[in-house]
Amino acid sequence: MNNHPADSDFEDLYENAPCGYLSVRPDGKIDRANRTLAGWMGYQPDDLPGMRLSDLLNMAGRIFLETHVAPLLRMQGFFDEFALDLLTKTGTRLPAIANARERRTDADALLFTRLTIMRATDRRRYERGLIDARKESDELKTALEERLRQERENAELREQFIAVLGHDLRNPLASIAAGARLMPKAKTPEDALRLEAMMQSSVGRMAKMIESVMDLARGRLGGGISLSKSITAIEPVLDQVVAELAAAHPDRSIQTMFEVETPVFCDPARIAQLCSNLLGNAISHGAPDRPVRVEATAKTETFELSVANAGEAIPEEARKRLFQPFYRGEAHGPSQGLGLGLYIAAEIAKAHGGSIELDSSERETKFILRMPLEGDGSLRPHSAP
Amino acid sequence: MSIEFRNNVQVRGRGERAMMFAHGFGCDQNMWRFVAPAFESDFSTVLFDHVGAGRSDLTAYDRQRYSKLSGYADDVVEIGQALGLKGAVFVGHSVSAMIGVLAAVKDPTLFESLILVAPSPRYIDDGDYFGGFSAQQIEELLSFLEENHMGWSAQMAPAIMGNPERPELGEELTNSFCRTDPAIAKEFARVTFLSDNRADLARVKARTLILQCSEDIIAGQQVGAYVQRNIPNSKMVVLKATGHCPNLSAPDEVVAAIRDFV
Repeated sequence: MNNHPADSDFEDLYENAPCGYLSVRPDGKIDRANRTLAGWMGYQPDDLPGMRLSDLLNMAGRIFLETHVAPLLRMQGFFDEFALDLLTKTGTRLPAIANARERRTDADALLFTRLTIMRATDRRRYERGLIDARKESDELKTALEERLRQERENAELREQFIAVLGHDLRNPLASIAAGARLMPKAKTPEDALRLEAMMQSSVGRMAKMIESVMDLARGRLGGGISLSKSITAIEPVLDQVVAELAAAHPDRSIQTMFEVETPVFCDPARIAQLCSNLLGNAISHGAPDRPVRVEATAKTETFELSVANAGEAIPEEARKRLFQPFYRGEAHGPSQGLGLGLYIAAEIAKAHGGSIELDSSERETKFILRMPLEGDGSLRPHSAP
Repeated sequence: MSIEFRNNVQVRGRGERAMMFAHGFGCDQNMWRFVAPAFESDFSTVLFDHVGAGRSDLTAYDRQRYSKLSGYADDVVEIGQALGLKGAVFVGHSVSAMIGVLAAVKDPTLFESLILVAPSPRYIDDGDYFGGFSAQQIEELLSFLEENHMGWSAQMAPAIMGNPERPELGEELTNSFCRTDPAIAKEFARVTFLSDNRADLARVKARTLILQCSEDIIAGQQVGAYVQRNIPNSKMVVLKATGHCPNLSAPDEVVAAIRDFV
C-alpha cells in the first residue's frame, strides 16, 4: 500500500523546482519567473515580470545573448548548455548554466523563449580553472618548444664546432709536426730559420682559430662578446689593420678614406678584429685585380666603417646565412678560415650597440658597420675643454 | 586551394547584378537564410563564411592575416575578384559592415552600393566618441566568451577539421548553425571588439545605406548616426526591429529596406 501522494501539483513543481524557470516575451521582457530563481536572485517573485532579461545580465552576457543565443534560437528553436552570469538584486554575480527553448504558435509566431537555469557557482569556477590551466599549459608548450629549438640549434652548433676543430686544426698541426720532424735534419741555419718561420705561421693560424672558436663560445653559448671600452682615436687602429693585411697581401691594392675626427667609445681591439675580418673577406672574395676600399666616417651620432670590394654579387640565398657561424662561401679552399669571421664581426657590432649591413650588387659588395659614437651610452666621453 | 572552397562561397539566383552577403561575429552565412532568398530572382546572391566560421576551410586560418579586420576584407576582395564582380551590392552585418567598408576602399570597383546592417566602427568609448562599451566590459566579454566556447572545442573541431570533404559528419552536433572554431572565434572576437575603423569611413566612395535597429545594445543609434555622418554618400534607415540581428528577427523589414535602396 502506497500512502504517499503523487507529486502532481504542477504549480508547486514549477514554482519550487530545483532549477530556475524564466519565460521571456518576444520584446525581451520577462513574462514569468519561478520562486526558485527569484529567491536565488534576491527578488520577490512578483519583482521579475516586466523587467528585461538584459536587466539581469552583465554586459558580456547581453552581448553573448545578442550575438550567439538569439540567432541560434531563431534558426533552430533551442540553445543548450550556455554559461551565463546573472546579476542579483544586490549586484553580485550568480554564475549559472542555462538551456533555452522557443515556444511558437502553430503559425510559427514566437510566443515565449523559455530558459531553464541551473545555479553553477562551483562548476563554473571549476571550468574557469580548466580554461586557465589550458592557457597555462599552452604557454608552457610554446616556451618548451622554443627551448627545444634553441637546444637543437646549440647541438647543431656543437657538432659543427667539433667537426671544424677536427678538420681545420689538423692542417696547421700537421705542418708543425712536419716542421718538427725536419728540424733536426736542417743542414744550414737558414733552413732552420725557414722551418721555424713556417711553424710559427702555423702556430699563429691555430691560435687565431682557437681565438675565433672562443669568441663563438662567448657570443653564442655565453652572454655575448664582452668589451673593454675606452675613448679611442679610431684612425690609427684602422691604419694598423690595413697595414697588416697589406703586408700579408702585397699584390692587392687597398684604398682608405678615413674622416673620423671625434673619438669613438669602443673596444679598440675588437673594432680592429672586426675590420680585419671584413677586410680579410674582401681580399679573399673580391676581384683580385680591383682595389678594396675601406672608409670610415663619424657623423653626429654614428660611427660608420665600410669595406667594399668589386666582384660578383653575393647570391640571395647566401645572404641569409652569411652571418651564421661556420658559414663558408661556395669556393672554399684550404686557406679559408672557419667561417666565423662575419659572425664574430656581427657580434662585435652588436656588443657595441650597432649592426653590420650588407649591400651587394654586380658593381660591388659592401659591408657597413654602423654604431653609436658613444657606444651604449653607459659612459659618455669627456667633452673637449 | 580555391577561394571558393576556403570561404565556402555559395552563388545562387538569376540576376545580372551580384549581391554579396557577409555574416557577423558569432554566426555564419545562415544568418542570411531569411533575407538572401528574397533577392534571388533579381540578383545573383553571393554568400560565404569567414575563415573560422561555418564550413570555411579551418586550415586556411592564418593568425597573422586575420589579426586585423583588413585580413577579412582581403578575403572579401579576393572573393569579389574571383567572381569578377563589378558594381555589385554588398550587405554586411555587424562586424562585416566594417569589413565591407575596408573592402570597398581597397577595391572601389567591386561594390557600387554598401548596405551596413547594425554597423559600429569602434565599440569602445573614446573621449567624445560614444561606442557603447568600456574597455573593461570588452575584456570581460572576451573572457566570458571563452567559457561558452569551452565544450565546443572537443566536440566540433576534430569532426569538422578532420573531414573537410565530409562536413555532414559535423551535422549531429548540438548547434548545426553558426558553427565556429572556438580558438578562431576567440581571436575573431578580439579583433572585432577591439577594432577601430573610424578613419576609414570617410574613404568610402560607394553609396551607402545604414540599417539601424531601434534598440541595439551592441551598436546603438548614436553609433549608427556616427557612421552615417562620416560616410560621404550615405543615408540611415531606423528599423522597427529591436536587437542586433534584424536579418533574423525582422527579415521582411530588412528585405524591404534593401529593396528600396538598390
